Amino acid sequence: MNEKQNIINPVKNETPSKLSPKDSSSLPRFIYFSELLDKPVIDKNGDFSATIYDIIIKPAEVYPQSCAMIIRKGFPNRKYAFIPWASIETLDKKEACLKIESAELKFEEKHDNREELSLRRDILDQQVVDTHDHKVIRINDIHLLFVDRLLMVAHVDMSLRGLLRRLGFEKLIDFLIRLINKNNPYLKTEHLISWKYIHPLSINPASMTIKVDVPQKQFSTIPAADLGEIFLEINIKHQIALFKSLDILTRARIFTHIDFKTQKLMVEEIPDKEITELLNNIPSDEATDFLEKLPKSRVNQLLSLMENKYAKKLSELIGYSGDSAGGLMTTEYMAYLENMTVGSTLKQTKERVFKVEPAQFIYVVDEKWHLVGATNFRRLILANPEDQLKSVIFPKTYFVNLESGVKEVAYLMEKYKYYAIPVVDDNNVLQGIITIDDILSQLIAIAWRRLKKIKVLPKQ
Amino acid sequence: MTLPKKNFWRNLIIFLSVMGPGIITANVDNDAGGITTYSVAGAHFGYSLIWSFIPIIIALVIIQEMCSRMAVVTGKGLADLIREEFGVKVTFYAMIVLIFSNLFNTISEFAGIAASAELFGINKFILVPLCAIFIWWLIVKGTYKSVEKIFLLACLFYLSYVLSGFLSKPNWKEVAQSSIRPALHFDKAYLFMLIGVIGTTIAPWMQFYQQSSVVEKGIKIEDYKFARWDVIIGAFVVNAIAIFIVVVCASTLFKHGIRIETAKDAAEALRPLAGDYCFYLFAFGLFNASIFSACILPLSTAYSVCEGMGWEVGVNRRFRQAPQFYTLYTLIIAIGAAVILLPNVKLVPIMLISQATNGILLPFVLIFMLLLINNKRLMGNFTNSKIYNILTIIVIVAMITLSIFLFFATLGVHA
Repeated sequence: MNEKQNIINPVKNETPSKLSPKDSSSLPRFIYFSELLDKPVIDKNGDFSATIYDIIIKPAEVYPQSCAMIIRKGFPNRKYAFIPWASIETLDKKEACLKIESAELKFEEKHDNREELSLRRDILDQQVVDTHDHKVIRINDIHLLFVDRLLMVAHVDMSLRGLLRRLGFEKLIDFLIRLINKNNPYLKTEHLISWKYIHPLSINPASMTIKVDVPQKQFSTIPAADLGEIFLEINIKHQIALFKSLDILTRARIFTHIDFKTQKLMVEEIPDKEITELLNNIPSDEATDFLEKLPKSRVNQLLSLMENKYAKKLSELIGYSGDSAGGLMTTEYMAYLENMTVGSTLKQTKERVFKVEPAQFIYVVDEKWHLVGATNFRRLILANPEDQLKSVIFPKTYFVNLESGVKEVAYLMEKYKYYAIPVVDDNNVLQGIITIDDILSQLIAIAWRRLKKIKVLPKQ
Repeated sequence: MTLPKKNFWRNLIIFLSVMGPGIITANVDNDAGGITTYSVAGAHFGYSLIWSFIPIIIALVIIQEMCSRMAVVTGKGLADLIREEFGVKVTFYAMIVLIFSNLFNTISEFAGIAASAELFGINKFILVPLCAIFIWWLIVKGTYKSVEKIFLLACLFYLSYVLSGFLSKPNWKEVAQSSIRPALHFDKAYLFMLIGVIGTTIAPWMQFYQQSSVVEKGIKIEDYKFARWDVIIGAFVVNAIAIFIVVVCASTLFKHGIRIETAKDAAEALRPLAGDYCFYLFAFGLFNASIFSACILPLSTAYSVCEGMGWEVGVNRRFRQAPQFYTLYTLIIAIGAAVILLPNVKLVPIMLISQATNGILLPFVLIFMLLLINNKRLMGNFTNSKIYNILTIIVIVAMITLSIFLFFATLGVHA
């Protein structure tokens, strides 16, 4: 067992000192879940009663701990019994000894209707999200740590070596590799991933949401685009359950990075109230992109449930064609009145609750919201706080109309090196802005179509 | 009156979007080996085996429908489910057997390509490597959608057998009669042939492939009824084509008492009896079936193994993202094509190994399926009904017995 102690150092993700045992006399004792599975269970009188089937875990601060064991007996009519962790005397690679008699155990046919997470059913051999490497993986083994008689889930193993261990070939392969090369890195490295990066995908049968030990674990650290990709990798049933279990902000982050088909599926699964909340939390251009593809009656129904002002804005945006400036623009931008002072502008900007709006430019408008000009923070910071806003605007501000096409917008943005360009209506009233990322995705789409044509044509 | 019509078009559009996995899987059933079996059945026993296609259709629908249903309800492939419910050991050994079974099947598909090369007078040392490269390129460079379209097109080419069926001018009245009236003879050769015809119907790779491809399509539970039609239509079409193959050989070769060993013999014997067109159509059908199956078998193997072992899977991924997937896929094609180009390669042992591995794996796969589909936690309200379970068990017992018999029958014939 002591050799296992060496593992802890080369482990990819450090194990926090929290896991080291309280009394320093004994070294940290690790065990693989596969080494416990199907081992005999001995009762108080030393009689064999069943074999270890599963371990139920409950959330703790960082690493979940064992709280009960499920044992099974009989073949082919299998029966299962539930044992609270307190009734277990000892547990090691050979066997589990109980403090109670086998007569006290209540064996039943059912075992898998529990709402807690359990290692065999919910984690071992299942797919989980690895939030460290941003991908969906299948678990080959679970690395457990003894702490005060309890077991803690410390790492999961997804390596080939874990697979071989499960098949019973680990020692053989180790031996063969040692014959060829004693210093082969295979023998030294353990591809363990810390549990804190693992997000299970097992579904709670009662609520149809994902069972979690720590809610919303780690998802906030994954870039939205990667999160969307991970989400598309898991299967529909888990997508639905996961989407239901996430908070509104993570939902919004995922929603803006998945295709329409999946978006529609997710929206069908949540109540209307949550849909409108979702739409309130995503940028207006993304929201219109989605709404445009829904049937008209459904759009009106959703908009009627939404916050009045935002709904009005969205319904206006939906009216514009997808590749015109009106259809591309977002209505989140910073605009201030021309006669405000620089000082109060900066103060107000600080107090603003930021949603997702881009902050490269500040637009200056008159009382009727006619576009006067644009400025940036650099100009504001360098200016005298008493100056009026209109005195710090750029000498000239270029803008586009609601009907301007993608190419015109792109041309102007490239020519004047704008990260965002304002959009005005026929009366020069500011309507919104188009940011470089939206125009870029349009251009990439156009470029792709061209590229395909070039590739396909010569063949015919 | 307008409402039902509108619904009809809506349903048709949904069906077209859901269609694919069932029809493709069923059609691969008519591969090089299948065509050989049906040709021999027609040439040696005339129309008298046609009735057996009706129970085949039923068995095929029952088994494949369960795969579709599991895929739609759980959103997981069969190898995924076996791994998650029965553990890694069982999955590992099942996958090893599956690799062998599919490898030897792939070799016999390449044998079909080589045979059709000879029929068309093309050097097999040119055609077989070319086809291998084409098959490899198709998946490595393609996406799931484009690959599926090509596969559906290949299904359409099976119509060449229907055309050659008409060109052979069969006695349709006799065909119709013998398809309804079972003609059981109890001589040994007839029974062997019967086992051969039914025994080749359900192979383990079909369940894995169909379930994975339904999952890949992402069909919703509401649209499940359309996926079921996909399976049913697939089963009918594939057996109709098999019947045409039997009919071609029965109305020409059987009438003239010509004995054949392979599909290639059948095509060659057809030429003087039914004309050049019939010959070319028959040979083209063999080529299409072989290359189509040689595409699907390696793909299906790589899919199932990577699913079960938890490696990255996917036609839509690149080599670096899914190394095990592409390595396995490439290896099976390379070995399949290389073996057939070896001098003096014997096809009979290859066929025997493929049948033996199929026979070993099939009982396990079918029993796993029965356990999985009746698992309430996975399937919710979509578990089998009692009657469906009884039917399934009958089919499973019959298929297991037949596949064991088939192995010993082949062994007996060639020993």
